[in-house]
Amino acid sequence: MIRFIFVQNRQGKTRLEKWFGSYSDQEKQKLKAEVHRTVASRDQKHQSNFVEFHNNRIVYRRYAGLFFCFCIDTNDNELAYLEAIHLFVEVLDAYHGNVCELDLVFNFYLVYAVLDEMILAGEIQETSRSVILSRLEHLNNLE
Amino acid sequence: MKGLTVFIADLRKCRSHEDEEKRVNKELANIRTKFKEPSINGYNRKKYVCKLLYMSLLGYDVNFGHREAVELVDSTKYSEKQVGYLAVSLLMDDESEYLRSVVRALRRDIHDGSEWIVCLALNAISNIGSREMAEVLTSDIVVQLLSPAASMFIKKKAALCLLRLLRRFPESVKAHQWVGRIAPYLGHRDIGVTQSVASLMTALAQQYPEETRKAASFAMRRLKSLVIDNEYTLDYVYYKVPAPWLQIKLLRLLQYYPAPESSEARATLLSILRHIIDLSQDVPRELQQMNAQYSILFEAINLGIHLDIDQGLMQECAVLLGRFITSRETNVRYLGLETMAHLAAYIDRLDSIKAYQGVIVQSLRDRDISVRRRALDLLYSMCDVGSAKAIVSELLRHMAMADVALREEMALKVAILTEKFATEYGWYVDVMMRLVSLAGDHMGDEVWHRIVQVILGNEELQVYACKISLQTLKAPVCHESAFKVSAYVLGEFGHLIANAADSAPIDQLKALQSKMTSTSQSARAVALTTVGKFINLFPEIKTLCLRVLDRYRGALDAELQQRACEYYALGTLEGEELLPTVFEEMPPFPERQSALMSRLLKREADTEDQRTWVYGGREMNRERRGVTSGAASNDSREAVAESSAMPVPATGLNDASPGSPAASKKGAQEALPVEPPTDPSVAKSMRNYARLLWENDGILFDGEEIQVGIVAQYKPPSGRLGVFLGNRATAPLYNISITARAADGSQLTIQPAAGQEAEQPETLMPLAQARMFFDIQCQQVFTAAPTLHIGYTVAGCAPTVSELQLPVTVGHFMDPVTISVADFFARWKQLGDSGIAESQHVLPSAFLTKDAAGLEWLRSVIGGMGFALIHGADPEPNNIVGVGIATTQAGRFGCLVRVEPKPTHGLTRVTIRATNVEVAQSIGGNVKMVFESR
Repeated sequence: MIRFIFVQNRQGKTRLEKWFGSYSDQEKQKLKAEVHRTVASRDQKHQSNFVEFHNNRIVYRRYAGLFFCFCIDTNDNELAYLEAIHLFVEVLDAYHGNVCELDLVFNFYLVYAVLDEMILAGEIQETSRSVILSRLEHLNNLE
Repeated sequence: MKGLTVFIADLRKCRSHEDEEKRVNKELANIRTKFKEPSINGYNRKKYVCKLLYMSLLGYDVNFGHREAVELVDSTKYSEKQVGYLAVSLLMDDESEYLRSVVRALRRDIHDGSEWIVCLALNAISNIGSREMAEVLTSDIVVQLLSPAASMFIKKKAALCLLRLLRRFPESVKAHQWVGRIAPYLGHRDIGVTQSVASLMTALAQQYPEETRKAASFAMRRLKSLVIDNEYTLDYVYYKVPAPWLQIKLLRLLQYYPAPESSEARATLLSILRHIIDLSQDVPRELQQMNAQYSILFEAINLGIHLDIDQGLMQECAVLLGRFITSRETNVRYLGLETMAHLAAYIDRLDSIKAYQGVIVQSLRDRDISVRRRALDLLYSMCDVGSAKAIVSELLRHMAMADVALREEMALKVAILTEKFATEYGWYVDVMMRLVSLAGDHMGDEVWHRIVQVILGNEELQVYACKISLQTLKAPVCHESAFKVSAYVLGEFGHLIANAADSAPIDQLKALQSKMTSTSQSARAVALTTVGKFINLFPEIKTLCLRVLDRYRGALDAELQQRACEYYALGTLEGEELLPTVFEEMPPFPERQSALMSRLLKREADTEDQRTWVYGGREMNRERRGVTSGAASNDSREAVAESSAMPVPATGLNDASPGSPAASKKGAQEALPVEPPTDPSVAKSMRNYARLLWENDGILFDGEEIQVGIVAQYKPPSGRLGVFLGNRATAPLYNISITARAADGSQLTIQPAAGQEAEQPETLMPLAQARMFFDIQCQQVFTAAPTLHIGYTVAGCAPTVSELQLPVTVGHFMDPVTISVADFFARWKQLGDSGIAESQHVLPSAFLTKDAAGLEWLRSVIGGMGFALIHGADPEPNNIVGVGIATTQAGRFGCLVRVEPKPTHGLTRVTIRATNVEVAQSIGGNVKMVFESR
C-alpha cells in the first residue's frame, strides 16, 4: 500500500503531501526533509526510479522541477506505482491545462480532490484517464 | 476564491521568513474576528477555512477553525462540504472533540440522495478512518458496496473505505459477517470497481483464506478475460496495455492462494502466464508502454514462481531474468535482480541462476545503490553450501568499498550465511573475525554477540577460536568488536591453549592488556571480566590480574569501577568457593532464533499486505511456507517468522527454563507414551497426542527429564517430521539416540532425513535441545502408527528408553479439496449407498452446551485435519461438511466428512465416508480421540 505521496520541488519545498497513515506533525516534517534529501541527490540518468527508505521504498519520477514521490511497501510492484505517478501527472496536466508548480500551489485544495478520485486509502482506485477527467469535470460544475 | 489567491500571492511575495510570519499572524487575527461574526456566510467560511489549511500546510500551528470546518460539512453546497471534509481530514487528529459531530454528519451523508455527497462521505471516511467510524459506519458502507442501486463511484470508494477500516481496526469491522459476499464483485464489468474490490480482497484473502476461497477462481476468470479474450473497454487501455493495474492486482491476489487442484484451472493459469510472457518478447519503444508491460510481466513471473507447477516455465523465466539483469535500463536491472531473488527462493535447481553469479557480483558495483542492494539480496538468497565460500568471500571483498548505508546489511547477511553454510569450523571463525574487523563500525552488537554464542555452543570450535583470538589481540591493530570477541573467548576458554607455544596465561594477559588502553569503555568492561575470569582459570597469574583490576578500581566510568571493585574483592576473598562459582564456564547458548535473523525479518515484515516470500533461499521459504499454511492466528505467525534460520518448534523449549511462563503454558499439554514410562497421567498425554492429530506442531511428551516437540509438514504422499528433544533435567543427558520405526507390516517408511544421523549430539546439556528430522513416505494405507524411540542416560542411572507413538496416521496425508455443494451430496450419497466405507460415531460433547466457541473449535479441528469445509452446504447451519483427498503412493482416496453437533443433547454425530474403508476408520478414530481428550 502507498504510505504517503509527496510532490516536492528541487529546493525541497513540499507542494503536495498526502498521508495514508497516521503520523505526528514532527514525524511528517522529518519524513519530508528526508525524502527530499534521498531523492534529490540521486542521479537521474544512471540510477533507477526506486530507492530504499527506512523499511519501505520510494518510487519517484521527476517532471521539470518537481519530484513526484510515492512511498510504498517493499513487496509492492514498483513499476505499477511508477506508472501511477505518470497517470496522475497526465490527469493534472489535462485538468489544469499544462500544469505547473504554481497551479499546485494556488489550487492545493483541488489537487486533493483529484487525488481522491484516483487513489484512496493508499490503494489505486481508478485508472482510466477519461473516467477520472469526466468525473472531475462533473464535480467542478456542482455548486 | 479570489481572497485565497490574493493571500497565497501575498505570502509568496514575502522576502523573509519574518515578513511571512507577520502576514500569517495578521491573517489569523482577521480570521478569528470574522469567525466571531454571526452573519458570516458559507462562501466566506469556506474561504477562511481554506486560508487556514494553506497556513497549516506551510507548517504554521493552526489550532482553531475546527468548529467552522464542521459547519462546512453540514452545508448543503457541494463545494463547501468538500472543503469542510478536507479540513476535517487535514486538521483534526483521532482525539479531536469534533470528530463525533463529523461521524454524525457522515451517517447522514452516506445515505444522501445525491450520489456525489455519498462519495464525499466515503472519501472522508477513507481519509480519516477513526475507530468510531469503523464501529458505527461499517454496516452502512457494506450496504453501499453491495447495493445494486449504488453507482460505480460509490462501489469503488466503499470497497477501499472498508479496506482502510479493516486494516486499521480489524476487530471493529466484523469482516466475517460480510467477507463471503465480496468475491463475486471481482467479476464486475466495471474495471474501476474490480480494481478497488481486488485490493480489498487481497487483504481479506490473508485474514480469511477459507471464506474467500472462491476469490481465486473469480480472479482467474477475470484475468483470462482481460489477457486472452481481450474483453475490456478502450477507456482502460494505458499506452496500448489493457488495464495494467488490474492485471497486476489480480496476479498478486492469486499469490495468496495455493495452486488450484483441478488440471483445467491449472492449464488456464499457465496459458495466462504464457500469454503475458510471450507478449513481452518484443520490447516497445515508448517508455510508458514498456513499463506497463514489464510491471505485468514481473508480477506474472512472481505468480508463476508461487504456483510452482511448471518447472519448464520457471527455467524459461530464469533465462528471461538473466537477460534483464544485464539490461541497459537501470529499472529493469533492478527488477530483474529482485525477481530473481524470488525465483531463488523456490526453484528446485539453482544452476540456472548460478550461471549468472558473475553478473550478479558485478552488480554489487552498479552505479545505483538501489541496484547494489538488490544484488546483495539475490546473492544472499541464492547461496547454498556449494557456493557459500565464493559468495561470502566476494561480499567480504566488497565490504571495504561498499557504501556506509549498505555495510551493515552486508555484514548481517555475511554473518548469517557463514553460520548457516559453514562446513569447517576454521572457516567460520576466520570469516567472522575478518568481518568484525572490516565492518565492525557499521554493525550492531548483535553480530559479535552471535559469534560468541556460536563458539559457546560448539566445543569443536573453541580451541581454534582461542588461537585466533590471541592472534587478533597480538596483531598491531585490532578492531574494537574483534577485541571484544577475543577477550570474551579467552576468558572462557583460554585454558584450552595455555600449554601451546607463546600462549601461556601470562602471554594472554599481556596481549589483552596491550590493547585495553586504546579501546572504548564498553570494550574495556568486557576485558575486565576476562581478567576476572583469568584469576579463576590461571591461579598462577592471580597477582598480576589483581594488579590490573586494582588500577581500574579508581576508574571514572561507573561501570568499569564497579566491575573492577567487585572482581578485585572476589579475587582477594579468603574462601575458595565463591570465585569458581561466579566464574563458572558459560553454558552453551540455547538454540533460539538468531538475533541477526530476527533483525532482517523484522525489516522485511513491515508491509501492509503480507510478503508471500522472504529473501533467503529455498530452505528458508519452505520452512516458512510449510508452517504458515496450517496457522492463521497472529500468534503462530510470529512463531513462524522466528523459526526461519533454525527450525524451532513453538514449544517454549528453547527460550525458557522450566517453570517460566512460556514453558508452563505450553507444557500443560502432555503426550501419549505407548507404555507410559515416566508420566502416569495418561489422560493428559492423550490430550497432547490428540492435538497433534489436527495441528502440525506442538508438544508430544513432557516429562521430568525430557520434553519432546513435533513439527510436521506433509506433502502427500510424503512428509517431514521434526523431532525436538529438550533436556528438562538439571544434569546433562548422555548417549542420546532418537530413532523412529514404522509398525511391523505397515506400508510406511520413516527414516532420518539426509545428513541427519551425523548431526545427532552425544550429550545434551540442561535446557539444550537436540533435533532430528525424519522423512516419511506413505506407500499404502496403514493403520498402526509409527513409534519414536528416545534413549538417554543420566549420570549414575541405567539407560532409559522411552517409546512414544507418533502422531502420524493416514489422515495426515490428506489435502483439502473444494467441490460444489451439489457434487458433495451426489458423492455423499454414492459412497453411502455402497455402505462399506463408512465410519460413524456418536460422541458425547458437553463442551458444546457450555461454550459458544465450541462450534468454532469443531470447525478448526475438521479444517486442521485436512478437510476443505464447504459452507452452506448443509441445510442445518451448525453442521459441518468437508472434503479431502488422502494420497498414498499406491493411490488417492476421496474422503467426505459430516459433523452434526446437537448442543441441546450434548452429543455430536460424526460420519466419515471414504473410497477406502481403512481410511474412513482411521480418520473416524482420530476424530473420536480428539473429542474424548477435549
